[in-house]
Amino acid sequence: MSFSDADLARKLEALLGPEAVLSGSAAGRAYDCDSYTVEKNNPAAVVLPRTTEEVAKVVRWCYQNNVPFTARGAGTGLSGGALPAMGGVIISTKKMAKILDIDLPNRCLLAQTGIANKKISDAVKEKGLYFAPDPSSQSVSTIGGNIGENSGGPHTLKYGVTVQHILGITMVDPTGEILKLGGKIEGAPGYDFIGLIVGSEGTLGIVTEAWVKLNVLPKTVSTALIAYRTIADATKTVADIIAQGTIPAALEMMDRGILRAVNMAFGFEYPANTEAMLLIECDGEPDQVAREMEAVQQVCQRNKAIEIRVAEDEVERARLWVVRKKGIGAMGRIAPSIVTHDGVIPRSKLPEMLEFVYDVSFRYSIGVANIFHAGDGNLHPCFYFNDRDPNQVQRVVEAGEEIIRRCIELGGSVSGEHGIGVEKIDLMPLMFSPADLELQALSKRIFNDGMLCNPCKVLPNQKGCVEYKKHWKGAAC
Amino acid sequence: MMKDLLELTTHCIRCGFCLEACPTFVTTGNEMESPRGRIYLVRSALEGRVEWQEDVRPHLDHCLGCRACETACPSGVEYGTILELARDKVEQDKPQFTKLTLLNSTTKPSALRAQLALGNLLPGKRMPGFISKVLSGHSAEADLPTPQKADTLPPLNLANLTPIRGQVYLLEGCAMRVLYPRVHEATRRLLRRVGYEVLDVEQGCCGALHAHNGYVDNAKRLATELLLSMPKEIPVIVNSAGCGSTMKDYENLLPDTAGAPKMAKRTFDASEFLFNNGLQDVLQTANGIAVRATYHDACHLAHGQKITSQPRALLEAIPHLDLVPLPEADMCCGSAGIYNVLQPQMARSLVERKYANIASTLANVVATGNPGCHSWIAQASKEHGQSVLVLHTLELLEAAFIGLEHFGN
Repeated sequence: MSFSDADLARKLEALLGPEAVLSGSAAGRAYDCDSYTVEKNNPAAVVLPRTTEEVAKVVRWCYQNNVPFTARGAGTGLSGGALPAMGGVIISTKKMAKILDIDLPNRCLLAQTGIANKKISDAVKEKGLYFAPDPSSQSVSTIGGNIGENSGGPHTLKYGVTVQHILGITMVDPTGEILKLGGKIEGAPGYDFIGLIVGSEGTLGIVTEAWVKLNVLPKTVSTALIAYRTIADATKTVADIIAQGTIPAALEMMDRGILRAVNMAFGFEYPANTEAMLLIECDGEPDQVAREMEAVQQVCQRNKAIEIRVAEDEVERARLWVVRKKGIGAMGRIAPSIVTHDGVIPRSKLPEMLEFVYDVSFRYSIGVANIFHAGDGNLHPCFYFNDRDPNQVQRVVEAGEEIIRRCIELGGSVSGEHGIGVEKIDLMPLMFSPADLELQALSKRIFNDGMLCNPCKVLPNQKGCVEYKKHWKGAAC
Repeated sequence: MMKDLLELTTHCIRCGFCLEACPTFVTTGNEMESPRGRIYLVRSALEGRVEWQEDVRPHLDHCLGCRACETACPSGVEYGTILELARDKVEQDKPQFTKLTLLNSTTKPSALRAQLALGNLLPGKRMPGFISKVLSGHSAEADLPTPQKADTLPPLNLANLTPIRGQVYLLEGCAMRVLYPRVHEATRRLLRRVGYEVLDVEQGCCGALHAHNGYVDNAKRLATELLLSMPKEIPVIVNSAGCGSTMKDYENLLPDTAGAPKMAKRTFDASEFLFNNGLQDVLQTANGIAVRATYHDACHLAHGQKITSQPRALLEAIPHLDLVPLPEADMCCGSAGIYNVLQPQMARSLVERKYANIASTLANVVATGNPGCHSWIAQASKEHGQSVLVLHTLELLEAAFIGLEHFGN
């Protein structure tokens, strides 16, 4: 790339108009990371296109001029997916947040991908429908980001992750061509390119519009909060519930560290001596919900629950969910920075894994709080620390790596839903053989033979990244 | 000790939950126009990584100060305080004299009266264009407000009123007393209806506009004077959300003044006080009004004081009134103190969005608890053919007793 930052901004302004381009040191700073704050790098410029065609214009220009580009939605990612690893252009979807079409009879909706996840459910709530994937950041995180990371959420346990809810997409490939994949019907024959694009972390192109599936709101929802005196009692409950065959809509766990934060944030009360709490939700037809809830509560009691609180009305239910969904956000009450991992393990291993997490926290002298999708075995150990202390940052990174290694040893995965980004890129070889990784690299080449489209993400050891990595690795402050 | 700005910024862990709550972010999609972006830029300026005036100031200037982000923030980041301290920093380093002049003239009743009288002699009704140009580089959008006429309500019928059980102060406010004397009149009558009489005292401005706009020292001076003018330990009733929000925070504005924490505790928004004292029951004896009404949350009531249910409960208690929900009710209308003069374009885009939401409810009346929202939304209503009557919540409540005909524009 042979442009100065200012030159580059002027070229982009000529393409999209000056109001759609941000540049200068403040813009560089504001867009130097997402919610993963340990690694940072300034983009040369930021563009805010309004349509698929405008995205294509920018990408085509970047492709022709050898300028790297990275898509960004709300910037709430937890693995650095929106980090401009090689600088270049950030393509923000935040001016593309419109609902374009709602097809009620066929229960699907077409939206631009900069729309916040929850806005989709809000738009069809009165019709008794909703969009099922519900990452905790759903009030802000975009559908584009959810597609990039194949996001899950508390209700993933019963309803599946994002990929199960995307019917068709419009995307701009890394050369600037507009592609349309899938459509409004499920299960089209041939290769499943949607399955490949969803979860590819913006490395195969930029998804600009999507047809999403709408689910029917359940008739009855029952939510309970169960307190335990020990972590082991809670994790044992989770394993037992799954083992006996009940699939709740959500099965979440919070430990004492999180309870302290949500107590400070929302005045949330819990019994003294509580070490862990489970949030369990069942939904569906009234009699089925009653049956499931009964079965669940029996398992809880068998595992020495000290309190079982069932939400009495919609207001209380909503309150319990605020506590869960904003739990990680509330950690700012305790420390200036957090890093949250999302390794996955078989559910039967939960008790020993949690013990291991606390042990790691103790050995590295870094505080940890746990709030996670227990039913999926999807951990979220949240390390809290001060990112202005390089030594603490280093320890956080090492502690995280140790936890991920253990997840893999136990037969799990490096990531359940936050993506690889730059955060876990060096851990990929722990999970995949060189042949596996080569096959993934080959799939990437279907769309992208160059190094411009969200470079240095997902696949380790990409050529050209080593030099750039020095800029962002550990650039916390 | 005032709070430490750098320390305040470190509570933001960049989760981004504030983004969709921020009117300027939702409108622009620009991270620098979001609470998270602004906090990050302030922190970066304090750490010497970006320039205060060049890099940070424009984005602080664009902030409405609505504090909707505080409601959304799970980490309890005190954004309002960060904004006040950061604005004070950039304003004191490089004062904008036109802005200070505007602030001072708006907050001195005599100067405001003179300015409005003078304005009526000029062609057109807009703020003088040169002020707007100097401040924002754009043409003015806000009309010069037309003050309400005083003493237009019929005498209060003293029969059947509950006996007087106590005294309160009423904050007359700087702009409020000039522009909305009828709101004050309604407030006094409603207070009397629940058994309170107003103890009148000579009083000045509360300092809110100065505090919000980077003149913390001026704000402190005004706040100290106001404290001295209300020495008795009786409730202080406020019917302007921005003022109430600042007065409830006097403890932080005047950390070394003995009376400040007590003042904060005895300050009540009028809707809050009337609700606490049972106006909803008294309303059952009123004739009521058969209108379809909706309610707009003033930012400094909903986000600054967390008051959302009391005004709605009171309005719902008006016999025959049909209160319908307003979409995006707690999103800023763009008035934001003197923002609609300082940032006319963003203010315009937000009031159009607000008005479209109001129109979608098919309400005949919209009620709100702050003079800034009142005049800004009223202007929009006028521009859209006067289809909706804009009233202060307290006017609508008093209208329940004496009829809506006394409250025309």
